[in-house]
Amino acid sequence: MYQYTADDKAVVQARVNEFTDQVSRYEQGQLNEDEFKQLRLRNGLYYQRHAYMLRVAIPYGVLSSDQLHELGHIAEVYDKGYGHFTTRQNIQYNWPELTEVPKILQRLANVEMHAIQTSGNCIRNTTTDPLAGAVADEIEDPRPWCELIRQWSTLHPEFNWLPRKFKIAVTGSKEDRAAVQVHDIGLRLIKNDNDAVGFEVLVGGGLGRTPYIGSVIREFLPASDLLTYLNAILRVYNQAGRRDNLYKARIKILVNAMGIDAFKERVELEWAQSKNEDDTFTAEQIDALKAQFPAAPRLPVDAPTQASEVHSNPLFNQWYQSNTRAHRDPGRRIVFISLKSAQAPAGDATARQMQAAARLAAQFSESEIRTTHEQNLVLPHVPMGELYQLWKALSKHDLATANIGKLGDMIVCPGLDFCSLANAGTITIYDQINARFDNLDYQHELGDISIKISGCMNACGHHHVGDIGILGVEKGGVEWYQLTLGGHAGNKAALGKRLGKAIPKDDVADAIENILNTFIEYRSEEETFNTTFERIGVAPFKEKVYAAAA
Amino acid sequence: MPLLHDGKLIEDDKWSVFSDDAELPDNPAQAIVSMQRYIELRASGALVPGDALVPDGANTSGVEPVPVGVVVAPEDDVLVLAPYVVQLNLIAISFPVYTDGRGYSHARLLRKRMAYSGELRAIGDIRADQVLFMARSGINSFDFPAQPDMNLVQTLVTRFEKNYQPSYALPVDFR
Repeated sequence: MYQYTADDKAVVQARVNEFTDQVSRYEQGQLNEDEFKQLRLRNGLYYQRHAYMLRVAIPYGVLSSDQLHELGHIAEVYDKGYGHFTTRQNIQYNWPELTEVPKILQRLANVEMHAIQTSGNCIRNTTTDPLAGAVADEIEDPRPWCELIRQWSTLHPEFNWLPRKFKIAVTGSKEDRAAVQVHDIGLRLIKNDNDAVGFEVLVGGGLGRTPYIGSVIREFLPASDLLTYLNAILRVYNQAGRRDNLYKARIKILVNAMGIDAFKERVELEWAQSKNEDDTFTAEQIDALKAQFPAAPRLPVDAPTQASEVHSNPLFNQWYQSNTRAHRDPGRRIVFISLKSAQAPAGDATARQMQAAARLAAQFSESEIRTTHEQNLVLPHVPMGELYQLWKALSKHDLATANIGKLGDMIVCPGLDFCSLANAGTITIYDQINARFDNLDYQHELGDISIKISGCMNACGHHHVGDIGILGVEKGGVEWYQLTLGGHAGNKAALGKRLGKAIPKDDVADAIENILNTFIEYRSEEETFNTTFERIGVAPFKEKVYAAAA
Repeated sequence: MPLLHDGKLIEDDKWSVFSDDAELPDNPAQAIVSMQRYIELRASGALVPGDALVPDGANTSGVEPVPVGVVVAPEDDVLVLAPYVVQLNLIAISFPVYTDGRGYSHARLLRKRMAYSGELRAIGDIRADQVLFMARSGINSFDFPAQPDMNLVQTLVTRFEKNYQPSYALPVDFR
């Protein structure tokens, strides 16, 4: 994986020094609250309901064992012994002291990490497929391109004060595991008829209070033009995006107000002029980045290609079925670590769990870990013959819950307990659903299904794109929950359809149960929730849920 | 107001901004006007090349040029200035609030697209912590609303010895 050059180290160290001084100027009254807010946000530091919250960037969701170990150490020393992995593949600490934040940033810099631009109206951490470089269906590994975008977007002088935050996602596979259609810019690595590699470029997707699926702005962009084209889109957005209304400031609103054709015309006009001016890069630069992401060493041909214990231990078998995926090397397997154990909020990991995962990655997965936008971890390169041993070790740390892709694998924003924007609790709903459906055999029987929970319409829990979306709303000081069905974030991206009127807090698990029973009643052999829903629509679900409530 | 130009504090800056409804003096030495007003003045023949405002009734031959500058507002289409930049030696970019980043793109387009080489001045809500990115976008003078701590400005502007966008370089050495 990517190792910092001397230049990377110089940039990140200078940033740590800069913020250290800014904290000290704030404490001495030389920066006022508002000025300091803008500066701290661009270093990942929010002020939330109870305390400061620090969001650390995990560039495109890739961590080394050393880095994850250090994240655990920070959780232990500077927080309450845990961290929260987010839907943008980052990690958040909920309880750092302001005066300690410079020390945390220094510790991060020491392991080649930072918190730059993890908040504020600027270009955020670029996300990608958590299985990049490990799956067979890849056009090309997206990580070198993500690193190129990371460098380009980090402290870009022109795009640090955008109308609103800006998120870019990249996928290198045919199957989209990066949700590129619901990002400000989505990039899909493709090959054209001449076998040249380039990008399909999407723009104007996003969730939040006005969800949109992104539109194609370029069917094929030569890869060598990536940064200049991004520059052109960002420049048009920086100049033309609305700044009068916070809720209408994302690029999706601009694209939809202008229409994709007019927006494209303006971008192309800008690009025709600017493509040789700024943000060009050379073939040598991208080749050097590609060299930093070598494939996992091929295991010998006589290495086991079956997990030997699959059929003898039912618990291992269940875990193998749900928590592992095919690797492009038949001697290896991709292993998901579920952070949805019902013992803790979704996406939370304790310091000990992080350090255990770091150790196990060193032992079993080429010292590499990925974070996923579903708020789990991945050990991408585990030898087939070592799966059983790994499973036993993960189980000891409550990291082997066999629910990846299943009902228990919910995406949950922090909600009312931690977030100052939230209207309603989310952790309580997660607990309620977990308590009701705690039987893993039942979950496996249901097949793949996604429940996504947001505590307000800003949609950090991606509820629009869940098979079942749950949105917390507040009416007269009481928490209610609005359900949507049939959303999808992958290749067939779709926004969920509203089920009906909002449901009281204590009835959410009942409603979910009615939805699941309807699914079981209607599904035909092998159908997932998604395909059944596509076939029968929202009506049968609605009938069941509201008939039961009446 | 305290002006930092090419890394040096200037005490006797003569330029001043005239709003569109303010009458220009007969001899408006170093007046800064809006883009719209500037273009109107040019179209009306009031300005000769060199951006001298011709005093009423004066014979243009032999007139000592009186320079006029332009201020670009966030919402302006800065590209409209393209035909004029060779005759301008002061363009100001206004930042009514420092969190409005449109001026950074204006600066970039002036320097790169239009090859403007004169003084490019940030006016309005100018703060020490923002000077670095403004400078890297091509701005080389800063009209601070209050006396800045020069040591602080220098520290902030020179702290980064490396950056990821080599074409966005500092216009002058601030050391």
